[in-house]
Amino acid sequence: MQLKHYETLYLMHSGMSEDDRSAFGGKLQGIITQSGGQVVVCDSWPLQRLAYKVRRQTQGYYVLLEYGAPANVISDITRELRLNDQVLKFLTIKHGDKFDAEAILNAKQSVSAESVSLPEAALETISSEEEG
Amino acid sequence: MTQQDYKANTAVRKRRVYMRKKICRFCADKKLHIDYKDVRTLRYFVSERGKILSARITGVCARHQRSLTTAIKYARHMALLPFTSSHVLSD
Repeated sequence: MQLKHYETLYLMHSGMSEDDRSAFGGKLQGIITQSGGQVVVCDSWPLQRLAYKVRRQTQGYYVLLEYGAPANVISDITRELRLNDQVLKFLTIKHGDKFDAEAILNAKQSVSAESVSLPEAALETISSEEEG
Repeated sequence: MTQQDYKANTAVRKRRVYMRKKICRFCADKKLHIDYKDVRTLRYFVSERGKILSARITGVCARHQRSLTTAIKYARHMALLPFTSSHVLSD
């Protein structure tokens, strides 16, 4: 079956232990690999403050998965994320119909090599225009 | 309207005409990608209240403004950006 390029970001409860979090991540990855998919990036972010309260939580752990999978896997993953009440938020995005693991990794490396941030001068122009 | 007021108005209008044309920074720098996870970049395109700034203010082209808008909305959904400043956690 043809693999498509997807990305899932989910937010976990801050009270969850590291073992539980990695177990859940492994479960999701298992779903993907069992159906012939391939996980390229599995990135756990450190504990982070949220922009607003989610279920009375002010902080949480984000986990980013980037993978190639057949389209029917997405419903399985979504169900898994919905059923786990430790998952506060999740978002799955399709990047494209073509999946090329090497191309994704290469793109990641080139982005991290260069600085992505905007120049400071650009920042100043925007803020000054806002005032005026 | 007095003659003076009229002159003042035209002066304002003239200044507008000569305003420097802003360049879309995503068109200028092809390496810049709009990503909903890149909160630091998105913050430049959001007002202090958390509202999305118009392309007229930031100078972003229409195509990139569209992708910026969706990126900001994704980020809001994931609690990476606030919907409004009044919900921002203050501790």
